[in-house]
Formats: sequence, C-alpha cells, structure tokens
Amino acid sequence: MNLPSRNNVHVAGSGNATLVFSHGFGCDQSMWQFLLPHFQGRFRLVTYDLVGAGRSDLAAYDREQYDSLCRYAEDLNEIITAFAEGPVILVGHSVSAMIGALADRQQPGRIAAHVMVGPSPCYIDADDYTGGFKEADIHALLDTLDSNYLGWSSAMAPVIMGAPGQPALSEELTNSFCRTDPDIARQFARVTFLSDNRQDIHGLPTPVLILQSTDDLIAPMAVGEYLQGVLPNSRLCLIENIGHCPHMSAPAACSEAMDAFLQPWAAGQ
Amino acid sequence: MTAGGGLPGVDELYEGAPCGLVITSEAGTILRANQTFCDALGRAPASLLQHRFQDLLTMGGRIYHQTHWAPLMKMQGAVAEVKLDLLHQDGRIITMLLNGVRREHPEGVFYQLALSGTHERDRYERELLAARRRAEALLAQATAAEVALQQAKAELADAYQSAQRRAAFAEQTVAIASHDLKNPLTAIKMAAQLLAQSEQRDRERRLLGSIGHSCERAEGMIADLLDFASVRLGQGITIRSRPADLKNTVEQTISELRLAFAHARIRHLSRGYGQIDIDPDRLQQMIGNLVANSVAYGDMTHPVTITTDLAGDAAVIAVHNHGTCIPEALIPSLFEPMTRATDQDATVRSVGLGLFIVRELAEAHGGEITLSSNTVSGTTFSIRLPAGRAS
Repeated sequence: MNLPSRNNVHVAGSGNATLVFSHGFGCDQSMWQFLLPHFQGRFRLVTYDLVGAGRSDLAAYDREQYDSLCRYAEDLNEIITAFAEGPVILVGHSVSAMIGALADRQQPGRIAAHVMVGPSPCYIDADDYTGGFKEADIHALLDTLDSNYLGWSSAMAPVIMGAPGQPALSEELTNSFCRTDPDIARQFARVTFLSDNRQDIHGLPTPVLILQSTDDLIAPMAVGEYLQGVLPNSRLCLIENIGHCPHMSAPAACSEAMDAFLQPWAAGQ
Repeated sequence: MTAGGGLPGVDELYEGAPCGLVITSEAGTILRANQTFCDALGRAPASLLQHRFQDLLTMGGRIYHQTHWAPLMKMQGAVAEVKLDLLHQDGRIITMLLNGVRREHPEGVFYQLALSGTHERDRYERELLAARRRAEALLAQATAAEVALQQAKAELADAYQSAQRRAAFAEQTVAIASHDLKNPLTAIKMAAQLLAQSEQRDRERRLLGSIGHSCERAEGMIADLLDFASVRLGQGITIRSRPADLKNTVEQTISELRLAFAHARIRHLSRGYGQIDIDPDRLQQMIGNLVANSVAYGDMTHPVTITTDLAGDAAVIAVHNHGTCIPEALIPSLFEPMTRATDQDATVRSVGLGLFIVRELAEAHGGEITLSSNTVSGTTFSIRLPAGRAS
C-alpha cells in the first residue's frame, strides 16, 4: 500500500502542531484552498482525498470495506501516523467531522482537537432528533446523482465538466476538481447520509470547535446545538453564512474562529 | 442585415431568450429571472424575486447543489451541463440543464445561470441508465453463475480424484491378492495330483476329484481377477496369438468343460475348417466363461450348445442356452464388471467378472461379442473374431 498515492496526500507549511484537513462528500481537498494560506506559517498542514474521491487511487476502493465510515477513519489514522508531527488537530468538513470522531474513538489520545465544519452525526430525523431530512430526501439525492452520471461514458469523469466562463482555467485543472466515479459517489452518498453516528460522538472528551453556518440546509442550526449538547468539551461558533461550505464562502470568519481555538497549539506569530 | 434597421432592446431579448436566464447573488438569492424561466415553472416573475434559486429545486437537487455545484462555482467559477429537477408551481418536476458562471462586476459578484428544458433527453438518458443497470445486474448474475460453476467443477474434480485413488487402491489390492493366491493354489493342485498317482479308495478318488475341480475354478476366478485388474490399471489384457485349428481348440475346451460341469449337457456344432490366428488359452477362457454363465443361469434340462462357424473373414463362436431370458434393462450394463444377470441366486457365481473378461478378450482379438436373449429361443452370446487365416 502506498499511502501518498492512495489518498493523494499533500504536506505543506511548518509548525509544532499539524492540521489535518479532511474534505466532505461531493468534493475533494481542493475545497480547502481558501483556508490553507492563513495557517501556512504556523502549522504543518496535511491535506488528502478520501479513497474514491478526487485523485485518490480508485483501485484502492473496495466496495465492502468502504461500506461504512469506519474504514475511512482507519485510513485517516494511517495518514496521521505517517504524516503528522506533534499534536494533531483534525479539520473535518461535513461527513469528515464524523470520520474524525470515529478515528478519535479508534485511537484515543492521538487527535488533540477537532475543528468540525458543518458537522452532522445523523442527517435523517429520528424520534427526538432533528437531522433535517427524511429518508425519501436522501433517495431523491441518489436520483439526482444518477441523473448527473448520465453521459459519463467511463469510470472516471468530472462531476461537472467545463468552465465556460473561465477559458483561462486549464483543462487539467478544471477536471481535477471533484472528480469521482459514479458508482463510488453513489455508495458514498448512502454511507454518508444514511449513517447515524450519534452514539460515537456522544461524550467524546476531545476539545471540539463546531463551525456552524447560520443558514445551512445540510447541517441546520439544531444539529450544531445538539452536538454542543452531547460533546462535553465543545465550543459552538456561528458563522454568518448561507450554505454548507463556510470554509469556502466565508473563509475569513472561519479562520478567525479557528485562530482563537488553535491558540494553544500555534507556533509563534 | 436586419429587417427594421436594428435589433430589439436588450431587455426584450433577455426576457424572450430561448432559455431560462437567472441572475442570483452568491448565496443564491434570485435578483432577476426572465420570462422564459418563469413560464417554464409557471410562476409570476415577482413571486421568484428574493427567493433562493436552490429553493426551487427538489430536495435531492438542493443537497446536490450544496455538496457539488455550489463548491464548484466557488472554486472554478463555472459549471456546465448540470442536470437539475425544479419544482413547477403546480408541483410537477421540470428537469432542466444548467450552465452557470460567476461574474465579478463593480456592483458585486453575481451568478449568471442559463437553464433549458431537457425533458425528452432526460427520459432517454434515464432509459439508458436503466438499461445499463439491467445489463450490470445480468452480468453480475452471469458472473455469479460462472463462479458457482467453477466451484462445482472443482468439487467434482476433487471427488473424481479421490474416487480414482480409491479405485486404484482397490484394483492394486485385487491384483496383488490374486497374484499371491496363485502360489498356494498351485501347491494344493500339485499335492492332489501326487496323491492321485498312488492307490486310492473310491471315497479318496471322489475327494481328490473335488479338490482338483475346486482348484481349477479358483484358478479361473484368479485369472479373471488378474485380467480385470490389469485392464483397470491400464495395462490391458495380453494375448499371444498363433495359428491354431479352431474346431480342435473348441473341441478340446469342451471336453474339459464337460468334466467340470458334469451335470450339464454340452453339445458342439461346427461348420468350416481351418486355422486362424488366435490365442488358444484365451479362446478357452472365453468359452469357459460363457459356458459357466449358461450353466449358472440357463435351464439345464436342455443342453448348452456351442456353435463354431468359420466362414469368409470371420469366425463366430456362439454359446446358447434355454431358460429365463435376460431382462432388457440389464443388457446395456451386462458386460460391465460386477454385473449379474439376476440376483436370484447369489451363491452360483463368482464376482461377476466373466462377461467383462470375455468382452475384453474378444476386443483384444479385434473382435466383438453380441447377445440375443428372449423367452422363446433362449439366450445366445456370439463372439465374432476376425479370421486372420494362417497361410
């Protein structure tokens, strides 16, 4: 197994602690590009693609192994062991926040803190829990995914091709964003949106910063508040933002909140 | 060249463009939507303003927007050919194809979206997708069947091999045992012959005769077993052909058989004279086995008839008996080893190798054996041998 190519791992920056960035469903590590420069001088930065996403090694994707988030968490711990130096702070977006929590449960003490960006332990409403979705909604998503796979003749195709407004964007760069294999994306969508990690997250003692958008369809406010309630050592930080990607649409607010949280681990300014 | 000396106003062109045109803020709030788009969704323009574009989508489309194309608009500034389901005023789903660009103007950042209906194409593509899924399911079935088949084949091969090993072991045991039985049997025979040379009383003579016959029967069985084993071990039966007079050889055989089967009447009819290339000992063995078979199963109130017919290129030696015919169902396997024509009297026979050996011997001579059996005319085994005439 070749970790750097399996997960398309990139290491940058320097510092006493390591920030490991783990992207969410639907995209790849390129989504961190608006946030990374801010931390470059103070931390060692590790970014990677989940197996099956971006430029990861698709041959490493085993349908049975990646049928739950556990295997993704094992991968994350392998990456931490191989590339992190000093205390590790995991920055996980969306489903990766839960992958980080599972990795923490697998190897307690290895992750010093979590920054969870738009996290949700369970997307589907339950008796006394509001996740924001009905199961039918998730099937509607799978349907939309399907209809956007049409015309993808081979296994590898960009999710969304072309960039009509930006001819300067090279073909390679265009297609490098959020590449995915239709079948993998479909399974990952199921694994992501039908998972229920409430028991795993409950009582996790590690310090957690929750970056909660004020208007997020995927992870509504109620979910952020729920997480703050069940994580004993957590801080809920509201980011004035519409949408599920505050690290892209409101990077300044995100990095400001993170700076305060990361103070104990940051190298001298 | 324009007809009226100029184009219509930009607003008019925008409103009536042959695709839906929508301008939103970065967060998706609709700032302007053209008439074509409003008509497609059955909505009044005013009712769309200040709504978010994503609110017009199905739930699946909204999640897709949040997880896929919103990040892409941010990162690469454009998306192309995204298929989305929008909700019509009356609840219907309208499938549209979206192209969008992110534009920075002095007034701010705007998302400019162009949408066109793709109903028929969408249906077609869904049919393609369904067909592909079916094909994949069939392929998976076929693959599973192939795997099961391979597994069954492997199991069968294993079973076959272990059966082969058991059979080989059994056959070797038979070969070794029968070979080793010959020596004590020869010793018994010689001792009986020595005793026969001295003076005897009647009772001793009868007993010596009985010892001699039993030894011969045992020798016959051992010969059969050895032949069987050597056929099964792949060595085949050896024959040593030499020119021999057919009629005389058969006559000599029959006189010995008359002694062995004293209670049976054995006749010999022959036609044609001459020498043929044959192994006389093996011919004797064939006739002996067939006569033993007739004596065991036939009606001994009638004679057993042996017919020798030498004509043209072939010699035919037939052994006939009256009595119950052989059931038709048994005939196909009759010449296989361990097969008996009847279970009625398990004491009369040896292990059931006689007919098998006869067939092997006939074939080793380049000939064949046939059988006819019915209630009226009885049972006849016919050995047909090529009459390689000795010159």
